[in-house]
Amino acid sequence: MILEVIGLRVEAGEIVALLGGTGAGKTELLETILGVRPGHVRLFGEDATRLSVEQRVRRGIGYVPEGRRVFAGLTVRENIEAASSLPSADRRRRVAQLFELFPMLAERPKARAWLLSGGQQQMLALARALIDRPRLLLLDEPTLGLAPVVVAELWAHLRRLAAEGTAILLTEQRAALALEVASRGAVLKGGVVARQASAEQLLADPALAALMGG
Amino acid sequence: MAYALVALGFVLALNAAGAVNFAHGDLVTLGGVAAVLTGVWTGLPGPLLLPLVALALGVAGILAARVAILPLVARPPEATFVATIALGAIVEQGLTVTMGAAPLTAPAFAGSGTVDIAGIAVGRQPLAIVVVGAMLVGAVWFLLEHTQTGRRMRAVASDRAMARAVGIPVGRYILLSLALAGALAGVAGFLLGHQFLVAPTQGGGHMLRAYIAVALGGWGSVPGALLGALGIGAFETFAAVWLGDAWASAALYICVLAVLAARPQGLFGEPVGRRA
Repeated sequence: MILEVIGLRVEAGEIVALLGGTGAGKTELLETILGVRPGHVRLFGEDATRLSVEQRVRRGIGYVPEGRRVFAGLTVRENIEAASSLPSADRRRRVAQLFELFPMLAERPKARAWLLSGGQQQMLALARALIDRPRLLLLDEPTLGLAPVVVAELWAHLRRLAAEGTAILLTEQRAALALEVASRGAVLKGGVVARQASAEQLLADPALAALMGG
Repeated sequence: MAYALVALGFVLALNAAGAVNFAHGDLVTLGGVAAVLTGVWTGLPGPLLLPLVALALGVAGILAARVAILPLVARPPEATFVATIALGAIVEQGLTVTMGAAPLTAPAFAGSGTVDIAGIAVGRQPLAIVVVGAMLVGAVWFLLEHTQTGRRMRAVASDRAMARAVGIPVGRYILLSLALAGALAGVAGFLLGHQFLVAPTQGGGHMLRAYIAVALGGWGSVPGALLGALGIGAFETFAAVWLGDAWASAALYICVLAVLAARPQGLFGEPVGRRA
């Protein structure tokens, strides 16, 4: 068991979409899991309530915030390296691996992050979150402002990561888009899970739109 | 070059704390006093005094952070402004009470007299200021640009909340930045204190020059602060030759106003968030 919070569980290799409208509490939930906000959370089979953000990240959380929030004045390579706690040789090897996974970043390793397009910044934020091989990846509204072709590339990366065993929890306002990639979804309403089911069941549920809108 | 050290420390503290440390000029003065006292007590030559002064002011930088900056980190920047102004006043008044208002002379870094360089006699102390200043600026540049510690310091300066969210121990890097800022202020105070003496009331002048250098260079930009400080130093030196000291200062402030009127973001102004 990777994560359990307010009745929501995420297993290794699983992509779970956290759905809900504005103000449903999606970001707050991710921040609680990360440790930015207080709350009772079990991570990787243990009580993580008292762990700091740094301790949770070291135990295996990767975080991609809403709006990317790359370190604007750092280069692409520096953004990725700054988030790593690995020894320098391992860090350099890992960056090389990530550049193989994200060729668009490999083309511009010395470019300042503020010069990148929105799609490139999203890939950079994802690569930054992956530098220390997290076991649980949290993504907050990762498709916001991205072109469909970039979303498709992002989904391909997430599917590959899940196939490698990474647990992924992503928030999304557009249920149909998120359920393309997620195997399971949970609709959040007023800070609690109002509905939880497989992607197929949720897509077929006529009450989904009402729940999301509420 | 000593102004460059003052401005470099100022901008490191600014970026780390997210607010102006108005006590930074008083740390420069404190560095001069530390050099005077350590020189008298130990009798060590300048090159051996330098690391002691840097260490002492690094600790002072951490104490300043603990007292007037870190407790207010979640408050609006104005709270830090007021707290650091108060801290600066405490340092200034404390020095006035303990050492008196009369200026002191810091030990020379590399002895007195001149050295001959390509037929030109150059004072040892000005030469030491240039050489030591350049070496320290180079060392800080290497730290920031080529080490993991420097990358993380810059990430914290760029977006503190995000740095925390990717697992960077933000508090530790803020303290490190403020310790480094204090050490640079101390070294600058030591180097300036022989040529320009050490007096408790000098902090405001140091602070003003650092502030102007950062405003001119581009708020939060390390290269901008360095170039702004070097520009101020060069302007004052050459303008003083032609106009005298008083008119040189007036001309400096007129030029600063003109530059900021034309380019409010400074000469090397950067996009929001691109810092350190």
